[in-house]
Amino acid sequence: MIKIRRDESQLHSIARHESKQPRVARLSYEQATIQSNSQGFRLGVAEKLTLGYIYPHAPVEIIMAHGFVPSLVRARPGVVGAFEASLQTFACSYTRNLFSQRANDQLPPLAALLFPGNTCDSLLNVGDIWRVRFPDDTVFRLTYPAANQGEAGVHFLAEEIRSLSNMLEKAFGLPFSLSEFEEAASLTRQFRESIQFLYASRAILPQVLPYSKLAALIHTFLMSPDQKSVTEVVRAASQAQRSLAKSKSLEPINRIRQQLLKGHLTRLTFAHDTDSPRIAVAGGMIDPGALVALLSAAGISENALVIDLLTFGFKTAFTRPCDMEGDPFESVARSILSSPLEPTQEGLEMRLSFVRDILTNLAIDGLVICEQSFCDPDEFEAPSLEAAASKSGVVVLRLPIDPELSDRERLGVRLQSFLETIKSRNQR
Amino acid sequence: MLEGHAASENGRLAWITSGFPVEIPVAMGVGVNYPEQYGAVIGSQKVGPQICGFAEEMGYSQELCSYARSSIGAARYPEKSPLEGLPKPQALLACNNICGTVLRWYDAISEMTGAPVFLFDTPPTQGKQTPHHREYVRQSVMRLIDFLSTTFHTTFSEERLREVGNLSGKGIDLWTRCLKACRNRPSPLNCADRFLAMAPIVSLRGTELAVEFYQALLEEVEGRVAQGLGAIRDEKIRLLWDDIPPWFTIFRFFNGLAARGVVFPADTYTHAWSGSLSGADLVDSVVSVYSNVYLNKGLEAKVDKMCELIKEYSLDGFIMFSVRSCKRYSLGQLVSKELVMERTGVPGVVIEGDMVDSRLFNDAQIQTRIDALLEMFI
Repeated sequence: MIKIRRDESQLHSIARHESKQPRVARLSYEQATIQSNSQGFRLGVAEKLTLGYIYPHAPVEIIMAHGFVPSLVRARPGVVGAFEASLQTFACSYTRNLFSQRANDQLPPLAALLFPGNTCDSLLNVGDIWRVRFPDDTVFRLTYPAANQGEAGVHFLAEEIRSLSNMLEKAFGLPFSLSEFEEAASLTRQFRESIQFLYASRAILPQVLPYSKLAALIHTFLMSPDQKSVTEVVRAASQAQRSLAKSKSLEPINRIRQQLLKGHLTRLTFAHDTDSPRIAVAGGMIDPGALVALLSAAGISENALVIDLLTFGFKTAFTRPCDMEGDPFESVARSILSSPLEPTQEGLEMRLSFVRDILTNLAIDGLVICEQSFCDPDEFEAPSLEAAASKSGVVVLRLPIDPELSDRERLGVRLQSFLETIKSRNQR
Repeated sequence: MLEGHAASENGRLAWITSGFPVEIPVAMGVGVNYPEQYGAVIGSQKVGPQICGFAEEMGYSQELCSYARSSIGAARYPEKSPLEGLPKPQALLACNNICGTVLRWYDAISEMTGAPVFLFDTPPTQGKQTPHHREYVRQSVMRLIDFLSTTFHTTFSEERLREVGNLSGKGIDLWTRCLKACRNRPSPLNCADRFLAMAPIVSLRGTELAVEFYQALLEEVEGRVAQGLGAIRDEKIRLLWDDIPPWFTIFRFFNGLAARGVVFPADTYTHAWSGSLSGADLVDSVVSVYSNVYLNKGLEAKVDKMCELIKEYSLDGFIMFSVRSCKRYSLGQLVSKELVMERTGVPGVVIEGDMVDSRLFNDAQIQTRIDALLEMFI
């Protein structure tokens, strides 16, 4: 009945705590392998439990400090619907996909799953439903502040993370380790610095790294944040740095990176190919891999995609590293709340202003706004984003999308037409 | 509505969500209007599709909440909307204890009107409210007082808040007694009666007018109980209603069932306004009352509440209206239906539709499902 499981080595390593622990589900090896292979999922460091999280602004450093491998559980194509007995069709397509994966035994092996609270109603309620439908699964909730309430928000989130830490220790007998926290913080710092550099580089010269490669690097780290995945990102950033050194682009790239971190861009002058369209992509819990698939199917060059503003991409990459001094929980809370555009919900005008900055100063020709089906945040914000882009002279394409890419052909055609519109506009 | 216009003309009107701690703006002399209630007006006037359509023309998806769409549509074309729309607000006060949509909705209204949005953030609770949770919401109260002081050039007085809180408490107490009177057989009120009579507890909480209204209502309800007068002619089946009603067909729907002897002595929606401000620390009381509203407490609390109502009101079954607009209220009903049936032993059915947008309401399909439920009682 239950599908979340530990593999044998994981079971062995925690055998001493088994009597106190909740039962864990078993996923057949074949299913796990299929999932692992299809998403590049690695079973993590030997003898470590995997804790799945759904919302990318998870306190990965704290999770790692308890000896877990934090792994992003994400929606994916090819999932047959199996949610109907538990969720109505108006639950967002992302949560329906996750729920179906679980009901179909398609989730990777997980010791526990972390849901977010106070980010959207669908994810909040689905967490509750999950507990009822899969009572043997170990499910936690981490609640975020929705308001921009300064230090009060930091304190709230810090205490939520501390509470999660206590629950992890209680459920699995794995205490928080300061040295593992420091190691994890160092890893995430290296990852973020390198991935931010790559984002900033692509903002000027997208040909420096295919978007699919950038998406894969982020994906690998979010699935399994270890030295190997970080080394891959650092290596890619070093290669980019070497090739860019010749073009004298490093100075503006570093400036863009700093400005993106601060959430405010100023006028920049940089050389770019005016014949090629430059598009940005906005949206929420949209998989960058889905964009790659759409671009590829439509025969569109990945170089056209200059920057994404997605939850699993830009918004996660541009989180500031956590401070090694002081209380680790507060430090991680402060880091999470520094992420641009999320996880707090308040402040539409601020978000729009940032997007306008990006569109204007990064010479963007077109904005693709992805809207997940039945996603309140995406669908409410889309008209405002469209208006903001239009006022900045940037053409807009609104793309309704679901994790199954069920309308792939039509979406591809729309993207092609959009790019052609930009090209003819630029030629005028 | 007229008071709202006057407040707007004086630069003192806030639009406010139904779960907002309204006692604070009222105590600070700020006028309030309720867009959710206005959504119910649009629904009951049967112009939901048209007014929601205005928002859809602006780019808002039909998948979004119809209260929000109708509100945005009416703000765009007030002259084409019932009562010529709500008066223009100077501030928008959203509390996310009823759903996360309210902030996004008010953001959209803010873009149209220029009124600033204040989010009173009450993160959802799980079991007992923790100290850091309470402290965070307490900071929200302080932030709210600052916001209102700055925006409306007014001051906060604890004494005045206590007066408003007392009135609010009196109103809630009287309303709760009216609801409890429906434990009697026959029930003196049916669903539609309560959905109409709840208006003052939503929009006039903390005023003398609400207290007077509920005093009169309680007198009438108690009189009916004393005389054995039921809300419907021949009460045979007593059911629980879960969620918001379909405003556009509220009388037809409930009267149709009444003709078949079905009465609804209780529902989860009108029971949601409970808890009054009291005690030495009023801010703490605000934190408790407004963090612990029904929709902020999760699935388990919803199931508990339904089971409690079924038991206390001697109900034979339940109907859950799965409202496409309201994810916070409705997602989970398929699971809670099973849990409630298991715990109470009474049957229930889930029907799907919407509260304002009649395009999303399939009458024939719904009747078939209800028929299937009612057959179980024959």
